[in-house]
Amino acid sequence: MEDHRPVTNRGGAAARLRTVPMLFLCVFFIVPIAGSVARFARTGAIVDVATDPSLRSVAWFTLWQAIASTAATLSIGMPVAWALSRRRVHGARAVTGIVTAPFLMPAVVVATGVAAIVPSRGAVAIIVAHVVFNVAIVVRVVGPRWTMMSTRLEEVAADLGAGPIRTFVTVSWPLIRGSVLAATSLVFVFCWSSFAVVSILGGSSRRTLETEVFVRAVRLGDVRGAVALAVLQAVFVLLVLVIGSGRSNDDGWTPNDRSADGIRSGPATTIAWTGALLVSSPLVAVAIRSVRVRGSWSLSGWRALFDGSLERVGVDAWSVLGHSARFATVSAAITIVLGCLAVRRPTPSIVERISVLPLVISAVTLGLGIVVTFDRSPMDWRNRNWLVPVVHAVVALPLAVRTIGPAVRAVDRSLHDTAADLGAAPLRILTRVDLPLIRGAIARAAGIAAAVSIGEFGATSFLTRSGSMTVPIAISQLMGRPGPLLQQAAYALATLTAVACAALLAGA
Amino acid sequence: MRNTTRSVAVVALAAVLVGACGVSSSPGADATPGSVTLLAYDAFTPAEGVFDGFTAATGAHVRVVTGGDSGTVVTKAILTAGNPEGDVLWGLDNTMLSRAQDADLLESYEPVDTGDVCINYSKKWYSSRGLVPPSSLDDLVDPAYKDQLVVEDPVNSSPGLAFLFGTIARYGEDGWQAWWRKLKSNGVKVIPDWTTAWTVEYAGGGNPGTRPLVVSYGSSPPAEIVFAADPSNVAEPDSGVIESTCFRQTEYIGVLRGAKNPRNARALVDFLLARKFQESMPLSLFVWPVANDAAIPEVFARWAVRADDPLTIEPSRIGRNGRRWLAEWRTIVP
Repeated sequence: MEDHRPVTNRGGAAARLRTVPMLFLCVFFIVPIAGSVARFARTGAIVDVATDPSLRSVAWFTLWQAIASTAATLSIGMPVAWALSRRRVHGARAVTGIVTAPFLMPAVVVATGVAAIVPSRGAVAIIVAHVVFNVAIVVRVVGPRWTMMSTRLEEVAADLGAGPIRTFVTVSWPLIRGSVLAATSLVFVFCWSSFAVVSILGGSSRRTLETEVFVRAVRLGDVRGAVALAVLQAVFVLLVLVIGSGRSNDDGWTPNDRSADGIRSGPATTIAWTGALLVSSPLVAVAIRSVRVRGSWSLSGWRALFDGSLERVGVDAWSVLGHSARFATVSAAITIVLGCLAVRRPTPSIVERISVLPLVISAVTLGLGIVVTFDRSPMDWRNRNWLVPVVHAVVALPLAVRTIGPAVRAVDRSLHDTAADLGAAPLRILTRVDLPLIRGAIARAAGIAAAVSIGEFGATSFLTRSGSMTVPIAISQLMGRPGPLLQQAAYALATLTAVACAALLAGA
Repeated sequence: MRNTTRSVAVVALAAVLVGACGVSSSPGADATPGSVTLLAYDAFTPAEGVFDGFTAATGAHVRVVTGGDSGTVVTKAILTAGNPEGDVLWGLDNTMLSRAQDADLLESYEPVDTGDVCINYSKKWYSSRGLVPPSSLDDLVDPAYKDQLVVEDPVNSSPGLAFLFGTIARYGEDGWQAWWRKLKSNGVKVIPDWTTAWTVEYAGGGNPGTRPLVVSYGSSPPAEIVFAADPSNVAEPDSGVIESTCFRQTEYIGVLRGAKNPRNARALVDFLLARKFQESMPLSLFVWPVANDAAIPEVFARWAVRADDPLTIEPSRIGRNGRRWLAEWRTIVP
């Protein structure tokens, strides 16, 4: 509704700037997807897929594993988010880094780690891996909102005789509800459409719609059936995201006049570290395997990474790390600029709403779309290396606007009015009032964008590239061949990346 | 909801615009005289500097572009048939050849290397228990070998698919289903991909798994030596190969129809088939060269297995029946 209010001059300039992210999404996301749909989607194929009885059990498994994974993720993520945002936890930064690290790891690494600690294949292993992956989302989306809630509100509730549960239900919940819903819908969508985890841990009997899209397109050569399935899936996922974001609530914020992390708490520290240990156990398993060979300790995998002995399989660790670092930097820069241009107050802009679309489209569909649409001058870009960070930015943008948007909208309006009354020009208000307040959110969004870029596998592996191997592709190449040294080197590279990313995120 | 409606309208409008662009634009033809593009799967890792000789002889620089596993690369090549992403395709094998022929993908194609997909077994696992490893596909359904085998899902994995075709070659159109049912009741474990089957499930080759039999390659044993954690310490690979289970994979190279640099492309195909490159393949790609005069490195010749009488199926028969076989397999095994 807000879209119909009169547009002021300043609003006009901002609206013009918002066409930049809009154009970006159109060219690099909507065009290829539309090209893919226009070329392959046929009503007949969609009807066939919708009525295919063999897909019913696949759809049912997709749904229930996503619900179970989301519930399990919340049950671990919420206590950790509470501990980190409402109490002073020993090593809080380390905990944040540790729980975030798996989110950036290539799925093949997390899945292999989970396979090492959960003996069976199937639903349990899939759910464990999804929890490990997605606790980061709950902590990172809900945490910042919860931190901003004034401790006074809780104290007043306590003074009036409310117990902790009643305080949570009547005071905290209404304030964090929007972010919890946003996190829940994001986690659900990631679990619904996760590809590598399901294909590795599911065994051949546990299939989801996302893996089925890939199988049909690539293994069976049935691209029409695959795209039809992808279209149906996208419609459903879009509905979930609309429900998740439609209820979000930006009102009711009091500036946080007293920092919540002043309250020391032993139990909170225990909760936070328990969560961190649970989430990091697969990565610990990976780290151990990087130094353990046939029952004895050895650093040969780590040495092999850097002494050139992997060049025979096309992997040079320095250049792989260099490529990933460059792609991550470029992609984070693009994402931040576009993310800042896209957000609007007091309500999310159309661009913000559209930017969630990459979450609902499977990487295979995007990859196929790029192949069949960027094939003609002036858009003959199919095998250009710059497409890699650009596609990473498309994938990261929904997460970035969801990090920056709420922070921008939470800036107290009266601060603006006061500054304006005092004669500050709009640019000065931006640099002196807004930027300092949203700097943290921008840093977080940059960290997330860099992380997405480093860990992204699905779309990257589908792009045609030249001499620009990224970390996940290098790991899957090393793990995809016989030879103990290669496995060990893969685990070493995965460990190195995890540690580096955790440090990066703890710093942001 | 109104915002969403608008978003959908914008998407639809963009789709129309794209459709219009697609019709009006013409194919880009930026042929570069001094270069040639080789399109390959991610695992194509030629030895360092191997193309220097080609560049010296022809003046053309070889640009290797990769994009996914072999199935992905071939699928993309089929979708772009006639307006390809490169000049020469590396990544077709006999299990996919007929798909490429149906799509009229290549101007010409030739075999470039061969390799076998075979059951591997852990020598240590059997010898430490005083047991004898199986020696045939028949043995695998013997209760003596219950719960010992890991195979890859043929839908998802290239060695898994080759193994399925091998069993069809061995037991025929009417017999393979019954053999797989017996294999299933004998406790076969189906894993989606080779990586997990080998590194997590397999007990041999230094892996921590529990099963001593796995579908892998005839060239796994030399890879174990070449990529040993400490090569000086390994006299003999732990993995052995059951030769009678080997299915022969042949890889092809070809000039893509619509290649922008056709002359250089043909020169590159000749180069890939000539002795120098062929001799580099065993220890970079772990496959056998097709050139008769290519010398085989000692560690490869000693430990890699190349079946004398491998299981095979005509590519055209795979083309006619492959999808049906996969669909049937999916109803029997998982």
